[in-house]
Amino acid sequence: MMEELYGNRTDAAMRQRFEEALLPHLDAAYNLARWLMHNPQDAEDCVQEAYLRAYKAFPRFRQGDGRAWLTAIVRNVCYTAIKRLRGRKEMEPFDEELHFPTPNPSTETPREADAEAVQLMLMNLAPEFRELIVLHDLEGFSYKEIAAIAGIPIGTVMSRLSRGREKLRADLAAFSKDSNI
Amino acid sequence: MTCERAERLLDAYMDGELDLPGSLEVEEHLRDCDRCQQRLEERRALVGAIREKAPCFEAPGYIMTRIRARLGESSASKPGWLRLFQPAWASLSGALAAFAIAMLYFLGAPRPGLNEEAVADHVRSLQAGHLMDVASTDQHTVKPWFAGKLDYSPQVVDLASAGFPLIGGRLDVLDRRPVAAIVYQRRKHYINLFIWPAGEGASLSRTLHEEHGYRTLRWSKAGMNYLAVSDVQEADLVNFAGLVKAHTD
Repeated sequence: MMEELYGNRTDAAMRQRFEEALLPHLDAAYNLARWLMHNPQDAEDCVQEAYLRAYKAFPRFRQGDGRAWLTAIVRNVCYTAIKRLRGRKEMEPFDEELHFPTPNPSTETPREADAEAVQLMLMNLAPEFRELIVLHDLEGFSYKEIAAIAGIPIGTVMSRLSRGREKLRADLAAFSKDSNI
Repeated sequence: MTCERAERLLDAYMDGELDLPGSLEVEEHLRDCDRCQQRLEERRALVGAIREKAPCFEAPGYIMTRIRARLGESSASKPGWLRLFQPAWASLSGALAAFAIAMLYFLGAPRPGLNEEAVADHVRSLQAGHLMDVASTDQHTVKPWFAGKLDYSPQVVDLASAGFPLIGGRLDVLDRRPVAAIVYQRRKHYINLFIWPAGEGASLSRTLHEEHGYRTLRWSKAGMNYLAVSDVQEADLVNFAGLVKAHTD
């Protein structure tokens, strides 16, 4: 009886601590999921799944940045979902070189790239590039935090972010050239 | 330092992620190399465009409710009567926690209900046939109409050339205060743009919210809050917001 009461109380306390620590980051979690999954429904499913996993793992969560911790979980859930959507095909390790654009001699940056183009081109970037741009440029995580979230060395964060931006710039330049004709 | 090496470090330099010796090295190279200097400018423009134009998607309100409901299911099942035996401090700390969470939302930019309220205003304005108090495609007619009706003067911008013709304005209520609603058209759809002073309330971060076929996009600029709501395509709304932002001081 006492145990039941005690267990009950710690459950409630843990749930409170969980909600305080992690519910404020719902928008950040959703934003990443939405950018990775391409559509609202899959993003919603992934975010809910991520929160449940986070809740189960919460007893192991020590003081620290709840937003980064949750983001790492969201990212894992999304990648698992993407894999499943692609038909359980094992994802090959990401090869930056393969995705690197052929150097574009034109250095023009479309200064007035419209919002539609930016969103479209960013959505079409390889997810490994896209997530770094979302995590750094939209969510404001540092290289070090991103390294921990994505489980890659900090040097890889640096080169991958740089290449992702270069690819986005080239795509935008090509896009605005096409649509101007 | 070679250009090749500088290029590799340029993003990290721009992001403030290089150590001091590395930064100094890049700076030294940039002083002598116009090409890399130009590259840096372009990169700044690109990242500026990403921050300005790629939306931060905001979670629909019901997700929070669903998550909290599922958290309840997944914690150990507890017979209802046991709650009665919870010591007083438990319910007190519960109330405090709820208060703390509520404060986080009020202090942070997004206020719960603001998007829902704006969507409700939008839907009501269409249903009641009360879209406009002043019908005009002329910004110099719409703007003065608000004089004397509000304690601030909303900027009314003309976006007809971009495919968002102004069609009028009306008074509405949002966030418990009278606000200016400027009405634009996109093909057969309407966009309501609410404008009100950020005042003592938190200013709004740029967020896109999707719910029940309507989208709201909100931001703050120069002490004013802006919230656009419509059923137009996401890209149209994002573009519209970008144009308004670019045309307001």
